[in-house]
Amino acid sequence: MGGETVSDVRASRIVEVEEAAAAVKDGMTIAIGGFINSGHPMAIVRQLIKDGRKDLTVVGAASSGLETDLLIAAGVASHVISPYVGAEGFAGIGPAFRKAGQDGLIDIFELDEAHFYAGLRASAQRVPYNPWKAGVGTDLPKVNPWLKEYRDPINDELLIAVPAINIDVAFLHAAVSDIYGNVQHNGTRYGDISMYNAATKTYVSVEKVVSPERIKADPLRTSIPGATGIIRAPYGSHPYSADGYYVPDAEHINTYLAAATSWLKTGDRAELDAYIAEFITGPADHADYLERIGIRALLSLNEF
Amino acid sequence: MNETASPKEVMAAAIAHDLKDGQWVEVGANLPVPRAGALLGHLHHGPNMTVMIAMTKAYLRDTPVIEEFEFITDVGAMQWSEAYYQHDQLLNNQRHRANGVFFCGGIQIDRFGNSNMIGIGSDYKNLKFRGPGPIGTTNATAQNGTWHLVTNSHDPRVLVDRVDYISALGYGRGEKNLREDLGLPNGGPSSIITPLCVFDFDEETRSARLKSVHPGVSVDKVVESTGFSIIVPENVPITAGPTAEELVLLRTRIDAKGALRG
Repeated sequence: MGGETVSDVRASRIVEVEEAAAAVKDGMTIAIGGFINSGHPMAIVRQLIKDGRKDLTVVGAASSGLETDLLIAAGVASHVISPYVGAEGFAGIGPAFRKAGQDGLIDIFELDEAHFYAGLRASAQRVPYNPWKAGVGTDLPKVNPWLKEYRDPINDELLIAVPAINIDVAFLHAAVSDIYGNVQHNGTRYGDISMYNAATKTYVSVEKVVSPERIKADPLRTSIPGATGIIRAPYGSHPYSADGYYVPDAEHINTYLAAATSWLKTGDRAELDAYIAEFITGPADHADYLERIGIRALLSLNEF
Repeated sequence: MNETASPKEVMAAAIAHDLKDGQWVEVGANLPVPRAGALLGHLHHGPNMTVMIAMTKAYLRDTPVIEEFEFITDVGAMQWSEAYYQHDQLLNNQRHRANGVFFCGGIQIDRFGNSNMIGIGSDYKNLKFRGPGPIGTTNATAQNGTWHLVTNSHDPRVLVDRVDYISALGYGRGEKNLREDLGLPNGGPSSIITPLCVFDFDEETRSARLKSVHPGVSVDKVVESTGFSIIVPENVPITAGPTAEELVLLRTRIDAKGALRG
């Protein structure tokens, strides 16, 4: 006989943040969901830094925020695939992104947000590339040789071949999930679903784990039908917003920006390393991180 | 009332005056001038315009005072939403952009209407200044039926003869039929709108030409503030700023907090 014992009980997909982060090995390609100042799986981002991951290709959101900047600042990212890294009104350009771009510390995969989704689509479709029109005649194919101008075989049109952005592990943050990994977002979902479609594995941190009945009450809302793993992480997007829960924590974002900007302006990492020690490597776990932020600060982040 | 309008209010009016009812306009966050221009067009003469504001489809003519958002992800905009624009789906749908209008910024903009969002410096691997990245400007300037360049800094370092990197293609180096030959869907940028003036592009050379100067701005001031050689026609009209009615709309409903007056 032999073989494994087969359980007839449907397995829970709830995992700890450490287990989700352990799916990543140095050199892999990961994606981080959300959009600029919202919806980033920060408990997982902090865990990746704590784990000392190196040489990761980080697929930031179509507009990435400071979660990608932080992964650069912490030395986790060696390659960044994102059309934008910044924080709008807080900082037009991410300071670590600027520093790394200017000093050649990372490789930046220069592309437009439309190319970004074309690349994710190619990965989802398991084809080598997706064609795109815009970008012909620009310098994007010159600074990014992976974007190739070519003539299409149907109409002989000049197009850009955008290579598949194959993601090993995608990390997202959403509103709720059941224990089986059926995730429902609040809000517009940004590009999270495209990242899920392009990834071999997807872990989603959620504000709340809810009953299967609640998910089944409105299946049309299910955005990720079966994540690899679900992490319970209330305030899991802090210091960024989570639609339906809390707004960005401007004070904390500015604390990070001051530390990273000090590195950009002076080349001295002391302030940045102090930030990382205080808020990332120092806290024992997500709850400890939230205690360092403080309950009053967290409870002040109301949407309305 | 024209003489009391601020330069940014004049810019917003220039944007609004070019918008037509029925068009689709994207209003980004943290871009107060294009935001105000798009909303002014919508409130003033655009009952059938589709306004995308903070990732939502909004109709705002019944909204007495339109709050400004700091972030494109601000949930406050959802109160107006007739639909959510899920970002990946928005980018998958280019066909409807033919009716769209886009406003493109740039860390550099050149006399042929090319924009650079990548960085400053001849060595791409070692830039003097790393820019934010193309965001969606490469695509939006190729796909939307109409587009303009907009900058809040009329400065020789921004308005240059040749951008270091083209992330959004205008008219290249003025080659004849460049965009047509590349198969790009629109005909190129209509104008460059700055705090001092509006440029359009000469039909032959495709180089920037002074279309109008804002009230109180001299042609000399424009020339000395611009890093490229401008085509200056014999008669340069004054930019039509906001009418009295438009200024009231701007100050009471669109920009109540005075971002354009600061």
